[in-house]
Formats: sequence, C-alpha cells, structure tokens
Amino acid sequence: MKNNGEVISAFLDDEPFAPEDLVNALSEPAGRTLLIDLVMLRRVVQPAVPPSSMRAASPAPRVRWQVAAAAAALFVSLAGGYFAGHYRASPAFVEAPPATRVVQASPFVPPGGHQ
Amino acid sequence: MADSEALFAAHNQKVFKYLCRAVGHVENARDLTQEVFLRASRSQATTNGDGSAWLFRIARNMALDHYRSRARHPEASALTDDGTRPASQDIDLAVNRALDALSPVDRDVFLLREVAGLGYEDISRACDLTVDAVRSRIHRTRLHLRDQLAAPIATCRTMAVTRSVRQHED
Repeated sequence: MKNNGEVISAFLDDEPFAPEDLVNALSEPAGRTLLIDLVMLRRVVQPAVPPSSMRAASPAPRVRWQVAAAAAALFVSLAGGYFAGHYRASPAFVEAPPATRVVQASPFVPPGGHQ
Repeated sequence: MADSEALFAAHNQKVFKYLCRAVGHVENARDLTQEVFLRASRSQATTNGDGSAWLFRIARNMALDHYRSRARHPEASALTDDGTRPASQDIDLAVNRALDALSPVDRDVFLLREVAGLGYEDISRACDLTVDAVRSRIHRTRLHLRDQLAAPIATCRTMAVTRSVRQHED
C-alpha cells in the first residue's frame, strides 16, 4: 500500500506503520539516506527565532486585566494600611483618655499593727 | 474563558513558530499570533479534541490573508541580499524561498507537521483533507524540499557529524 518513503515518513511522524515495511524500507541504502535527510530537513526548517521573540504574544487581554486589577487592589490595600497607621499614630491616640472615676486608697497597715 | 487561557498556554509557541515560517517574518508572526488568540477567545465555537486543529485553522486562514495582502502590497524583505549575512540567515532565506514556492496547502500541511508538530488527524481537520491525503502530501513535499534544500541539509548533516565526533572524543 505505502511506498518505502511514506513508511519512513510515518515512522518519523510517530504515525502507524507496519514494522516489516520499515525493515524493508531501511534495508536499502537509499532508504537509510532518506531517513537521515528527512531528519536533517526537519532541523533545517525550524524557524531561527531570537530568544527575545520567544515570548511570542503577551498573555490574553483578560489575563492582563486580571494582573492590572490585582495590582490596583494591592495598591489600595497598601495605601489604606499606610493612612490608617498614620492616623492611629497621631498624638490624639497617644494620650491617655481622661479618668472616669477616682479611687481613694487608704494607707497599708500590716497584720499586728506595726510597719 | 479559562479554556482559552489553557489553549494559549498549550499552543502559543507552536502557533508562533508555525506563523514565523508561514509568513517568513518574526514581527508579523508575533502580531498574527496575538490576533489568532484574540479571535479564538472571542469565538463561541466548540472544539473537538484539545482544540489545536481549530486553532490552527484560524492561524492558517490568517497566514493566507497575510499572503494575499502581501501579494497586493509587497513589502521589503527583512533580509538583505548583500552577501554579508551569517550562514544561518542564508539557510533561513533559502528555506523561506523554498516554502514560498510551494502551493499554500502543501506548505501548510508540511509546516503544521514539521514546525507545529501536529499529528495527521489534527492536520486533516485543520486543512479539510483526509488523513491519507495529509500523509501523501507531507511525504511528497518532503521529497520536493529535500531536493530544493540539498545544500542546507548537507551543511546540517556535516555539523551533526562534527558534533558527534567531538562528543565521541570528549
């Protein structure tokens, strides 16, 4: 059904083939040369992409929005925390509140009457 | 939407590499890759399998559109032909020229297999062909490119042998 070349192609591509067909195809020098050439062809046609281009495309727009929303939430929480801390550290919060009642304490007398 | 993000993570690099060769220009390929995923995320279409055939069908259509518009408005080549390029750029140029000379279907079937790494089944769905047609087109195109790119293949083989000998000596 398939010629030797197609069997070698199927082998290269991890597609189904009959093992005996591959044995036949590779028993000839032309078949072995073809296999090596096709492996080399695969290497040759790979695009030479500069590493900086491997980012290809930035994440989908929705992902960008999620990142922006997370950054905004972080900023708001940090700023809120800063201002809340600043307000609590102001002098009005450092002074003690005014007394609501005064307790009179009598002098201490030890048991037996002597100090 | 989570599906489109998974699709992006799984196929972003493959689509980009396919488009690099299909349009022959890295910057255009990057723009088109973004457009492919934008269209995919907007689409409500349901997909079979892992969605790669559907995604590459979009990528393929965009590459074809790009080809048509380039035919109408030819742009300056990214590589100059002044003989001062490094060898790798010479190979790149030769590969792009050989691919340009193929029919669009043969070029796409070949690139989807060799560069994007799709299986015959996914290629057949992406290109509206039978699996048998994909198999024979891939093989026919390989034989054609083997002849057209004999010099780069020989260079690559020599480099592989040299590397192998060095590793053996080490």
